[in-house]
Amino acid sequence: MANRIKEKYMPKKKYLDYPMLFLVIFLIFFGMVMIFSTSSYKSTVNFGHPYHWVLRQGISVIIGAFFMIGLSKLDYRWFNNKIIAIGGYGVSILLLIAVLIVGAAKKGAVRWISIGGFQFQPSEVAKIFLVILLAYLLSLNAHKMQHFMDAVKILGWSIPVIALVAYQNLSTALVMCAIAGVMIFVVSPKTKELIAVAVSMVGVLVLYLTFSNSYRNERVAIWKHPETHEKGLQTMQALYAIGSGGIFGKGLGQSMQKMGFIPESHNDMIFSIICEELGLFGAVCLILVFIALIWRMLLIAMNAEDLFGALLAIGFMTHIGIQVFINIAVVTNTIPPTGIPLPFISYGGTSILVVMAEMGIVLSVSRRIRM
Amino acid sequence: MKTIYKKKILGIVLLFFLGFGIVTARLGYVMIVQADKYLTLAKELHQREREIKAPRGNIYDRNGVKIASNKAVYSISVIYSQMTDKKKVVDILSQELEIDKEEIEKKVYKNSVREKIKSNVEKNAADKIRKYKLDGVKVDEDYKRVYPYDSLASKVLGFTGGDNQGIVGLEVAYDKYLKGKSGRILTLTDGKGIEIEGAYEERDEPVAGNDLYTSLDVNLQNYITQACMKVKKEKKAKQVSMILLNPQNGEIYAMANVPEYNLNEPFRLSKKKSQAGSKKQQEFLNQKWRNTCLNDTYEPGSVFKIVTATAGLELNKVKVNDHFNCPGFRIVEDRKIRCHKTTGHGSETFKEGVMNSCNPVFMEVGARVGVDGMYNTFKKLGLFEKTGIDLPGEAGSIMHKKKNVKAVELATMSFGQSIQITPLQLLRAASAAVNGGNLITPHFGVKTVSSDGKKEKIFEYPVKKNVIRKETSETMRDLLEAVVSEGSGRNCRIEGFSIGGKTATSEKLPRGTGKYISSFLGFSKAQNPTVMGIVLIDEPVGTYYGGTIAAPVMKNVFQIALPYLGISKDYTVDKKSE
Repeated sequence: MANRIKEKYMPKKKYLDYPMLFLVIFLIFFGMVMIFSTSSYKSTVNFGHPYHWVLRQGISVIIGAFFMIGLSKLDYRWFNNKIIAIGGYGVSILLLIAVLIVGAAKKGAVRWISIGGFQFQPSEVAKIFLVILLAYLLSLNAHKMQHFMDAVKILGWSIPVIALVAYQNLSTALVMCAIAGVMIFVVSPKTKELIAVAVSMVGVLVLYLTFSNSYRNERVAIWKHPETHEKGLQTMQALYAIGSGGIFGKGLGQSMQKMGFIPESHNDMIFSIICEELGLFGAVCLILVFIALIWRMLLIAMNAEDLFGALLAIGFMTHIGIQVFINIAVVTNTIPPTGIPLPFISYGGTSILVVMAEMGIVLSVSRRIRM
Repeated sequence: MKTIYKKKILGIVLLFFLGFGIVTARLGYVMIVQADKYLTLAKELHQREREIKAPRGNIYDRNGVKIASNKAVYSISVIYSQMTDKKKVVDILSQELEIDKEEIEKKVYKNSVREKIKSNVEKNAADKIRKYKLDGVKVDEDYKRVYPYDSLASKVLGFTGGDNQGIVGLEVAYDKYLKGKSGRILTLTDGKGIEIEGAYEERDEPVAGNDLYTSLDVNLQNYITQACMKVKKEKKAKQVSMILLNPQNGEIYAMANVPEYNLNEPFRLSKKKSQAGSKKQQEFLNQKWRNTCLNDTYEPGSVFKIVTATAGLELNKVKVNDHFNCPGFRIVEDRKIRCHKTTGHGSETFKEGVMNSCNPVFMEVGARVGVDGMYNTFKKLGLFEKTGIDLPGEAGSIMHKKKNVKAVELATMSFGQSIQITPLQLLRAASAAVNGGNLITPHFGVKTVSSDGKKEKIFEYPVKKNVIRKETSETMRDLLEAVVSEGSGRNCRIEGFSIGGKTATSEKLPRGTGKYISSFLGFSKAQNPTVMGIVLIDEPVGTYYGGTIAAPVMKNVFQIALPYLGISKDYTVDKKSE
């Protein structure tokens, strides 16, 4: 395909994936609108004006925009060296340890550390560096990867960071596992074995959730009977919101459930308010936008100049795809509840910053596509 | 990128899209199939319907004296999501409302939108609770029914329940007029139950209940109640009942059933009774609330001779001066039925028979009239039907089936045995017998007036005109006047007033237990009756003759009631009887 394009157009034409850029900008603005819609009432109640959360998100988006533009202009191959890849990975491990220490000092699980007044979540940042590290290692060893153990070795690299994240937030760790799994799966020739491993891991997870007596088992109970379980309130509230949206919704800004009924309405549960205000139509449109974005990233990965760039695009694409799926599945009670933000839309400074940085890198990969 | 990589990554992406497809299908299911369900549930969650209670209408007596009204009370409830310090709420509420902590804790920690802790809280306590300014504790104004005269006419008025609905008595009979229509405010609330300002709001104003004006007279009611209490104490009777009405139009001035109960504490039982099981307790309560004047039947005894005499005169089977002979008994078929005077009254006219309340005379009259004649008269005098009084639970009469009435039954019926009717039915029949032949409907309700005084509804009650002839009625008045002036009802004679009446002493069933109901029915003026009363003394101890113990009670009442009702002294009649 790339060759055909190359023949049709003159070589060395500057390329940037504008459809993807457009989709990203659309999602960010849509997210801002929805954060304003979902948080204005609560903001007015708590702070006397409706802009508290949307302003904070706006600042994150502006910082994120610098990162995105900067990284899209920076040649992604700059990351493709030992010092940056392993060094960045080391820094993210140090940050995660720092969080643990802060948490221990505060005698409670903490997911973020404060830098200059801004709270910042190292586990989100760790996702970028994990993808860079794996892309570096995989592209370096691609030709040598013959055995199953080679794949396991590479996976072994990612275990420290996943373990550290898992200590605070199991669902984020699961997302990282999925990212690592997909990246290794694409490169390793042991397709069948890896599929078997993935399937058996999912099986173990299911068994664990079903039979363990930990508090996660409680989540299975909530998932099965949200209407009767004492902690099923949030799930039921989300379903009330979704169900009362109907086909075309109540209209932007008209949600009732955001009036304090859904505790995290501008955060993990924002999709339920989108359903309530914009209806099934709006929700499906949003899902289609995500599908289009993933499709663009897939095309970039397939046409990337080198394997490193392709793997970066694949890692970030997996990140977006898995989070969108888990978030919507949780909100609709398709799977047991867990806290995963909806990329671009949910409120959260680190989350939007990281996602925009990732998009910058993918755009940078798209720049090297030869026409 | 190698083709194999491309295939694999395409597979992964398709797997994602499959996942998206699944959640989209799930979304479609929730948002189309289950949309109605969740929309309804969500509405219930968001809408708060606040009821605005309508004040219940007042009840007045015939002179405009308030006998039932409302007072502002408060209901205390808690809103789960708004409470910030639940422990403090429990402590303060249990202290101020004097309720066990455990009971309050149950409601405070129950995860529901709103829980009512207590209703009918007095203003003092409510104000105190308000002062604490506890988050999530609501103090709402409410109405409580109050009866300023406590037990006065308790069995007539009845009382209301927790939702201000009538439970017994006039309160239930006129509930639809009195209760009014509660209004409501429909508002949207946020997750903490705080109403959203400027949100769509529906409001229906409450409509206050109509006031009920009755024919009761508080003074007369008070007086007859005291008279009943006095004789109840003197005769150690089980119960004493009395009714005072206007025999011309059926308006009831007073109706007492002593012992009465306190309408402000209708559910209170004596210590002993309150230890019984709940079913038993309910029986005790029902007994306590019972209005014997119309909820129970009894054998009327000699007062019923009014009906027999009316039948005889109406059908021309007897004349005032017809001669009879009383040997102290009468043989009916194979049975010897005694007169109360066992030595016999000897030779007497019909008039004298009435004055003596002579059983053989009435057995003879009954026999002359025959079963058809008696039953026809019963029917005309409304003894087969309920009186139609505006109170619930009226009992019907218990009579022999006509085809089963043989000579013995006919004879006993003639002096008021072997049949059972309510005191009110008897009073109604007697009214028709002396008021010129009109069968009235006894009643309390006169009119209802809307709270703003603009709308008035005057009740009309059916009157059956001329069920007996005027002449018959006139003769009956003469006869019954003679009973009081010279006959067995002498104890009700009041100097200067013309009074008619009839005594009775009924032995209660089963016979031979020595339990009696002594009664007296009287009216005035004798020739133009505008007040008629009946008094029944249930199970008096000692002397039990109606003429001896019941007639004086009526005399006591009439001494006050007749001047009070503006009935003038009647010297001409007085002179005639001297």
